[in-house]
Amino acid sequence: MVSIARSALLRQTGAAGPIARPSVIAHGVRATAFHTTAQKSLLAPPPQRIEGSVNDPAPVPETSPSHGSYHWTFDRVVAASLIPLTVAPFAAGSLNPTLDAILASTLLIHSHTGFQNIVIDYIPKKRMPGIRRLFVWGLNAATAVIGLALYEFETTDVGLVETIKRIWRA
Amino acid sequence: MAALRSTPFRVLGSARPSLRLAAAAPVRGFAQLADGATKSLHASEGNERLKTFQIYRWNPDQPTEKPRMQSYTLDLDKTGPMVLDALIRIKNELDPTVTFRRSCREGICGSCAMNINGTNTLACLCRIPTETNADLKIYPLPHTYVVKDLVPDLTQFYKQYKSIKPYLQRDTPSPDGKEYRQSKADRKKLDGLYECILCACCSTSCPSYWWNSEEYLGPAILLQSYRWLVDSRDERHEQRKDALNNSMSLYRCHTILNCTRTCPKGLNPGLAIAEIKKEMSF
Repeated sequence: MVSIARSALLRQTGAAGPIARPSVIAHGVRATAFHTTAQKSLLAPPPQRIEGSVNDPAPVPETSPSHGSYHWTFDRVVAASLIPLTVAPFAAGSLNPTLDAILASTLLIHSHTGFQNIVIDYIPKKRMPGIRRLFVWGLNAATAVIGLALYEFETTDVGLVETIKRIWRA
Repeated sequence: MAALRSTPFRVLGSARPSLRLAAAAPVRGFAQLADGATKSLHASEGNERLKTFQIYRWNPDQPTEKPRMQSYTLDLDKTGPMVLDALIRIKNELDPTVTFRRSCREGICGSCAMNINGTNTLACLCRIPTETNADLKIYPLPHTYVVKDLVPDLTQFYKQYKSIKPYLQRDTPSPDGKEYRQSKADRKKLDGLYECILCACCSTSCPSYWWNSEEYLGPAILLQSYRWLVDSRDERHEQRKDALNNSMSLYRCHTILNCTRTCPKGLNPGLAIAEIKKEMSF
């Protein structure tokens, strides 16, 4: 309660600031300071740098279907195959160990490629190659560990679907 | 697209309904008889309709000074219906230092692309909202390097456009030595693609392009890529596809579809990108 009341008070005093500030210059022209949120220096854009001359075309990357079209098609196939695999346990009540293992590994691949996309999007290779490598290998390690755990779980324990079922009914 | 070629005067005179999709926001329509124009004829006794425009200002001659928003107030009854009319009036009458690009003032050159009230659009195709209580905010295109005020630096955008070789490439001469002909069906495939004026509204509204503009081509350039991929006269189909076949150029598109929402010409770059992906998938 106290913190809510305080933040409201702070907001009021904060709002009073910019209202008091505008100053009339001439002919209805008025200038205010440019208000932004607090400055975040995280991943601040670097100064503009043009590769080659202004009239050169941007470099075309090397063709690599395994990172391009094959990768995209594989992603879609995995995502699409997850639909019947997640519906099946609801329809059948349970899954046999093989299908359960397939579901677990498909989920693992799906989340791996999803996180991979996030790493590629937000950690640009050009600007921070070291951090990019760290995250790519970190993700690979995490996937390997989870894959091993799932393998152990599928082979020695009850399996994914059965676990969720038990937790749900617990 | 016939409405694009008519002058604002003709449209004003005949109050012809625009040919754009009905779903488009009313603010971004083409010039029509402004509601305010009729009102001002009858009720011009003293009650001015004052509208305040907040414009992003930054001067490269004073690089240490931070960007600021400057407000200008205009009487809407004495201003043309579009945001560009207001900007030109501000530059002529209030402050000659306001800097922006403009050329054709009818949505065919793509110079006046800017961020108006949070939407990337062409100032010449954007109606001034008639309510006077809210300010209209004008920024340069988001996530671009600003040259001055509302002028963004589009060097990288044009370099990327050049990299896709946006011209007809073929080796076989036409059989009768005349122009390269194509069927009506083949020509129809280019509709919705050739109208793109490269204003960069879509590319600068795309978060993927914000983060990866060095390598990701962005919706505008990919729409142009598709324009040359589907052209039946072009013979470099495979090379064009190979140039896109890597993790960055095309596949940073995550179907956010800001491009399609913002396009001031009503085109669909999102669909074009999806078609390229489909074509390359197997």
